[in-house]
Amino acid sequence: MAIEPTLSAAMDCGEIERSVDAYLDGEFDARERAEADLHLEGCERCRALAEERRGVRDALRAKLREAMAALAPAGRAPQELRKRVEEALARRHRPLWRQALSPIPLATAAACAAGALVVLATHGGDAALVEEAVRSHHRALPLEVLASVGGEGPILAWFADKLDFNPSPPRFKASGVRLLGARLSHLREWPAAYIRYELPRGQAGLFIVDDPKGRFDASGREVRMGQQVIRLVAARGYNVAVWRDREIVYSLVSDLDEAALFDLVRTAQAEGGR
Amino acid sequence: MFDLRQTDLTRGEFEELALKHLDPLYSAALRLTKNDRDAEDLVQDTFLRAYRFFDKFERGTNMKAWLFKILTNTFINRYRRSVKERNIVEGSEKDAVHERFVSREAAEHAANPEQFFFDRLLSDDVLKAVDSLPIDFRLVVILADLQEFSYKEIAEILDVPVGTVMSRLYRGRRLLQKALARYAVVSGVLQDVGDDGSIDLEAYRKKRGKSA
Repeated sequence: MAIEPTLSAAMDCGEIERSVDAYLDGEFDARERAEADLHLEGCERCRALAEERRGVRDALRAKLREAMAALAPAGRAPQELRKRVEEALARRHRPLWRQALSPIPLATAAACAAGALVVLATHGGDAALVEEAVRSHHRALPLEVLASVGGEGPILAWFADKLDFNPSPPRFKASGVRLLGARLSHLREWPAAYIRYELPRGQAGLFIVDDPKGRFDASGREVRMGQQVIRLVAARGYNVAVWRDREIVYSLVSDLDEAALFDLVRTAQAEGGR
Repeated sequence: MFDLRQTDLTRGEFEELALKHLDPLYSAALRLTKNDRDAEDLVQDTFLRAYRFFDKFERGTNMKAWLFKILTNTFINRYRRSVKERNIVEGSEKDAVHERFVSREAAEHAANPEQFFFDRLLSDDVLKAVDSLPIDFRLVVILADLQEFSYKEIAEILDVPVGTVMSRLYRGRRLLQKALARYAVVSGVLQDVGDDGSIDLEAYRKKRGKSA
């Protein structure tokens, strides 16, 4: 900027120009401020510059506050987020020294804590069912049959004489998703197949129940995927995806965030999975 | 040994100190990630991480700045990679364009009437303008002009020298001013001002295209 040099003892025009923002932001110490004021008193152009910058700065700040401070939608956290954070903190209920010694990086630890896939038959039921799936997954009872090289075949065979329906787990095509094993479970009085998956980060637990009468329903957000309706429910810090395929209800319980969970479910749907 | 009540106390204390900053953290996360799901995840991760390292937090120091530091680091380490992949070309081009603007523009400020039109801009346009800034400038402007952190606090949050904060803020404000003026033109708040160069060509054309 072409500003005539001044004879001010303290600051010159170039210095003012370079630091006018800091001056306006109150970042100058008392001596710097006095030096700047001294210059501004005697230099009309710098005074004009400072006034102009002050106007812009104040207008910018006002606009930012208007758009992003707590009164604006973009400045307020959704109510569920507070709850979600509190729940996550409650689950992270571990002595600090143990966390500090943990060799697992935080991201991995957080992901491990996550991840049960519950598949519930939907419709007509209630949120308590999802809660129960979450609780059951959270207990992480030992698996009764482990996945081997045989893939899902041996697991399905194992279930064959234990349930009066044939569970048919979806095939998640996302990379890094691995079938770990399964056990018999139940949601309330209804028998369920429980299948555990290993995810790139953490695990997921899938509950499959037979629901010819449409007893089960899930509240929560409905997401449509083609013909399929997926419900996403948050419970006790887990996210659960619930969908129905004819008489079978699937509930996938996971620590994944909603978006990642949805993406995972989508990989199975895309394949025509159930 | 580990005492459950102790942990409860710690968590209670943490929640009391930290959760009141939920709104500003979310607001910043939203501008960093540009979508609400990622923003919520980022905020949750920030709190979990902060809780994990709560024993490292010095009581009586600035909790808000500490949380913003964790938010920023978490974003850079975990989210920025994917966001960056999406925006990398766009970002670098913008940077180059803005670079030219800033140097040329410094001389034209006194004549620019934008500030008087800011008042009439919609919040949505303001958000878009903020989002259009390259990430480093966006961050500094948010920290300084919205959250009103001092330069020193921002330097600590971002782990850069105060001089870097100053220059980023200087450029960030001018980029934002420019972007706002662009939206003002596009939405018709600010009349296009002909050929004096204070309005960029793209916005000018957009407006022309719109009215044609």
